[in-house]
Amino acid sequence: MIIPVFNEASVVAGVVEEVLQTFPHVVCVDDGSSDHSVSEILKTDAHLVRHPTNLGQGAALQTGLAYALRRPGAQFFVTFDSDGQHRVEDARAMVDVARDGDGDADVVLGSRFLNHARDIPALKRLVLRTVMALSVAGRRLRLTDAHNGLRVFTRAPAQDIRITMNGMAHASEIVSYLARRRWKVVEVPVSIRYTDYSRSKGQSLINGVNILFDLSIRQRGA
Amino acid sequence: MLVKLILIAAVLGLFVAFLRSKPGVRIQAGKRVAVILFAAVNIYAIVRPGDVSAVANLIGVGRGADLVLYALVIAFLMGMLNFYVRFKAVDQRFTALARAMALREAEAINRERFPDDDVCASTAVGPGRGDAERG
Repeated sequence: MIIPVFNEASVVAGVVEEVLQTFPHVVCVDDGSSDHSVSEILKTDAHLVRHPTNLGQGAALQTGLAYALRRPGAQFFVTFDSDGQHRVEDARAMVDVARDGDGDADVVLGSRFLNHARDIPALKRLVLRTVMALSVAGRRLRLTDAHNGLRVFTRAPAQDIRITMNGMAHASEIVSYLARRRWKVVEVPVSIRYTDYSRSKGQSLINGVNILFDLSIRQRGA
Repeated sequence: MLVKLILIAAVLGLFVAFLRSKPGVRIQAGKRVAVILFAAVNIYAIVRPGDVSAVANLIGVGRGADLVLYALVIAFLMGMLNFYVRFKAVDQRFTALARAMALREAEAINRERFPDDDVCASTAVGPGRGDAERG
């Protein structure tokens, strides 16, 4: 279980404790937080990896994967947001899908839209749908939600993937990677706990512009 | 009117060509030659503004100063893009460095915090914990 953390001191310990009840091995990647997130993480039984400086969520995920991959027993790699918006039951169910799928699910993605997602604010829903409609790779995989932080990787794709988009564009990057390498991707409906806390941290439409720009320029020129 | 289309097409064309180009010695050399040429043409334009105006009239841009301005815009955009892409590459190297540091430090810290956490390794199917694997 990989949890990228950036300035979430007020909630991270609670989130980690809740996760630890179901998932014994948790890696928190502190992305150079300037608050006391680190000491909060150290209070829990989660492994801590600290970026020496802020690199971005995509970079934190890749670091967490790299660390988790070094644990030889690890078979499933779950990415989970540190603000408490995901439900541990959903993560559990997704790992079950990956395990029981018997090779039919290399990667399991959480989707907020598979079921009627009434708990999502209307504007947010519009933003996410727009990004999805613009994503060629997402359409090819028939995904309904590319920007969900809850994902389960089996070992092979986890080892293979290289997240190079350090910022928020990593979500689209992951989807296009999955489409390109033809991993078997399964979507599972999840629900989100939109608290005032998580809402204050969500992505805006403005940030969508940044994401599209980053993606269009990536890996070109020198 | 025609020249406007030509100029716009040129800007977009350069943009795309630049983005699609793979890094290499030829591109590098091309960029440097372009910079030198641009400087040379500029000096010429300063010395003999009349000639630039003549060229501008010939292709229908109006004044010579406008022609220089358009050229400047193109050069500026190319320069910006060049810097952006360069910066990205540097950023990626920086990330790799920071990640290597973070992982090394984390191995030490967490081994100290969880001395008996090799439970993880005992459930392993494969070989024991080793340093062979690097991200």
